[in-house]
Amino acid sequence: MDGTDLDAILVLVRDLIRQRVIPHEAAIDETDEMPASLRDEAARVGLFGFAIPEEYGGLGLSMAQEVRLVMELGYTTPAFRSMFGTNNGIAGHVLLEGGTPEQKEEFLPKLASGEWTASFALTEEEAGSDPAGLATSLTASGSGYVVEGTKRYITNAPVADVFMVFARHADGPASGKISVVLVEAGTPGVTVGPKDQKMGQHGAWTADVGFRGVQVPAAALIGRPGEGYGIAMRCLAHGRLHIAALCVGLAQRALDETVTYALARRQGGQPIAGYQLIQGLIADSQTDVLAGRALVISAAAAFDSGADRRLGPSCAKYFCSEMVGRVTDRAVQVHGGAGYMRGVPAERFYRDARLFRIYEGTSQIQQLVIAKQVLRAAAGRS
Amino acid sequence: MTPEPAAGTDPSAAPELAHVGPDTPVADVLAAVSAWIEDHVPAPWREAADNGGPAQVRRVRSPEQYRAWYPVYGRSGLVAPGWEVRYGGLAWPRETAAAVDKLTARYHLPRLNPLGLNLAAPALFAHGTEEQRLRFLPPMVRADEVWCQLFSEPGSGSDLASLSTRASRDGDWWVINGQKIWTTWADQAAFAVLLARTDPDVPKHQGITYFLIDMRQPGIEIRPLRHMGGETEFFQVYLDGARVPDTQRVGAEGGGWKVAQATLSGERQMVSGASSGGVDRIGGGSTRHLIRLARQLSADGGPGGWDDPAMRGRLVRLYCEERARAWTNQRVRAGVARGRAPGPESSIGKVHGTELNQRVQAAAADLLGAAGLAWPGAADDPEDYARSMPAEVRGMLRSRANTIEGGTSEVNRNVLAERVLGLPKEPDPWRGKPWRELPKS
Repeated sequence: MDGTDLDAILVLVRDLIRQRVIPHEAAIDETDEMPASLRDEAARVGLFGFAIPEEYGGLGLSMAQEVRLVMELGYTTPAFRSMFGTNNGIAGHVLLEGGTPEQKEEFLPKLASGEWTASFALTEEEAGSDPAGLATSLTASGSGYVVEGTKRYITNAPVADVFMVFARHADGPASGKISVVLVEAGTPGVTVGPKDQKMGQHGAWTADVGFRGVQVPAAALIGRPGEGYGIAMRCLAHGRLHIAALCVGLAQRALDETVTYALARRQGGQPIAGYQLIQGLIADSQTDVLAGRALVISAAAAFDSGADRRLGPSCAKYFCSEMVGRVTDRAVQVHGGAGYMRGVPAERFYRDARLFRIYEGTSQIQQLVIAKQVLRAAAGRS
Repeated sequence: MTPEPAAGTDPSAAPELAHVGPDTPVADVLAAVSAWIEDHVPAPWREAADNGGPAQVRRVRSPEQYRAWYPVYGRSGLVAPGWEVRYGGLAWPRETAAAVDKLTARYHLPRLNPLGLNLAAPALFAHGTEEQRLRFLPPMVRADEVWCQLFSEPGSGSDLASLSTRASRDGDWWVINGQKIWTTWADQAAFAVLLARTDPDVPKHQGITYFLIDMRQPGIEIRPLRHMGGETEFFQVYLDGARVPDTQRVGAEGGGWKVAQATLSGERQMVSGASSGGVDRIGGGSTRHLIRLARQLSADGGPGGWDDPAMRGRLVRLYCEERARAWTNQRVRAGVARGRAPGPESSIGKVHGTELNQRVQAAAADLLGAAGLAWPGAADDPEDYARSMPAEVRGMLRSRANTIEGGTSEVNRNVLAERVLGLPKEPDPWRGKPWRELPKS
């Protein structure tokens, strides 16, 4: 997409977020429900397929373009982005990276238009960042496979039309290896449990998903048998930059809320923004936001050029997810007692932000990835 | 004054302690207290204490059971052993009282009514009349009358002295109008300590008076506030023509700020854990709990637990810091036991202790990983959020308030800078101006 078109979309999305989504934020948190009208508007603007190529009906944004869009999306409740995050993220990408031409033709347009909501079904009771304990099985049956297992904390599960399921081959040449299969929600044997209770990000639903003797055709397998996990891992760097940009957007919002409150709230006869210790908190948050933004933009440019697709994304995800934790924490502190009470955006963002340090690879996983890259590069030089 | 017969300690509730006098050797006192525990603390609780200490007691005893039993403890005098018998205590020397606290700690007998014991009582001892002490202290010790605090207002938090709630004279009574906020236990409280403005034409600190107000009267309406953790622990209190007799004024008219100082220092200690009262932290468990959790996680084969060197390092750092905090708190308590008023060290403890507790509770929630962010529950029921959440998440969210409640870290740092280090005071353009002229939030 060229720059002028992108600028037009950014204006559109910015207006959508600020005029339409932000007024619903408090109700979304309270009722744990995303209004259907917002889903329709997101689909209309193309948000279900911004990372999917234009030939499949998406916007086909580059990484550098995507992070600018996602920073806008981050400026409101993360539940809004969750609606279409998987379509653009791991589900769409796994298809792009590993799907056959037929699979791409059939499925990508449905994801890009928002006709389908996709769910990414990797996590299990004993498997998350480390897939070693992955127990969901894939057994050859007739011309296809049978899927058997239970997934945990699956985002969008209650509303998903399709699940990208990670399962381990129980037999055949790929026995023991992990593949990705596309399972439509209505398939017999697929059950979605009750919505989980969550600390934050209300309005984005997670639930357990059960697969009991679920029969899928061979064409549901993405890539060749046993390749799925490797394909998914290649998509992770994209997701990390995406989350980093989202954190920058949310941190900017938390900072704006902080500054607005500090100017309006008076104690000791003057706005609390006049006190040096409050100024110190604001300065630290502003510095954090600018540092995060600069890191994401430079890492996205290196991603697009191919100069670096591993180190930068992990550094950006690690720094920005921790950074938004600090900024939302300071937002609560500046708001004082009000910041601890329901109904104030700062309170909500504090709960929302915590997830970012955990999913798409915890901070500890990012540290390992970063150190490995740095040490490997150093070893290569000596 | 609000009528209520209020005798002191009931000797028949604790015959085992009857022979203990001010000169009884500590060892004999401890033997007497042990006998009292044997006779009055239910056997299952004692067995739990012997087998697993306070943590085991918490497991076998529900809060409701403890509350039902509490009057036995309250009447014995052991809740406030250092207080005079007529106030509900035992008049034991401070060293004896401290030794007894150590003995009872393993049975986990927390003092209920902390806002009464830690906030109202110090004000009454420092500035109350004998009639007020006799009337209010004994039922406070027994938790027959629970207390809350009506200080903060929507427009007056950190700048508490700017408060707007008015108290107007009406013969021997005062009529109160205004709005208070962040009131813990307003729903259970029989009484509150109240700061109200009696003179708007003098500078803000000078026009405030301190009252003891009956919470159960038509002029008081309370509304719950839901906090970050989903619970309704705090209330807004609307005072609309509420009444207080002048006999329940503490200190001089216009002298309320001085009386409140005794109380605020007590609150800082309570939030920081330096208090000699029963509350040792607000929100979450200790680093020992963290280490147990981490070991369990590793024993179950999970990642990021005790076998993870980075996590282990983090937990050990927190453990060391918590020990340093605990020893410092002991020093504060020892000072208090020798009769020194808690001073700057309560601000130091407040700043450090609360920030430390937030780090401890954040680590606890981190140990849970994804299970700390989503958990099984009835997501459609608003009351279920707090009910179903893991204890570590509850502790983490509750601890977030620690650096705000009882004086924010920023205000306390200013207090430290000005009063401990003697640095120049924060400029106040409204200093000396009548309260009426101050810009309000």
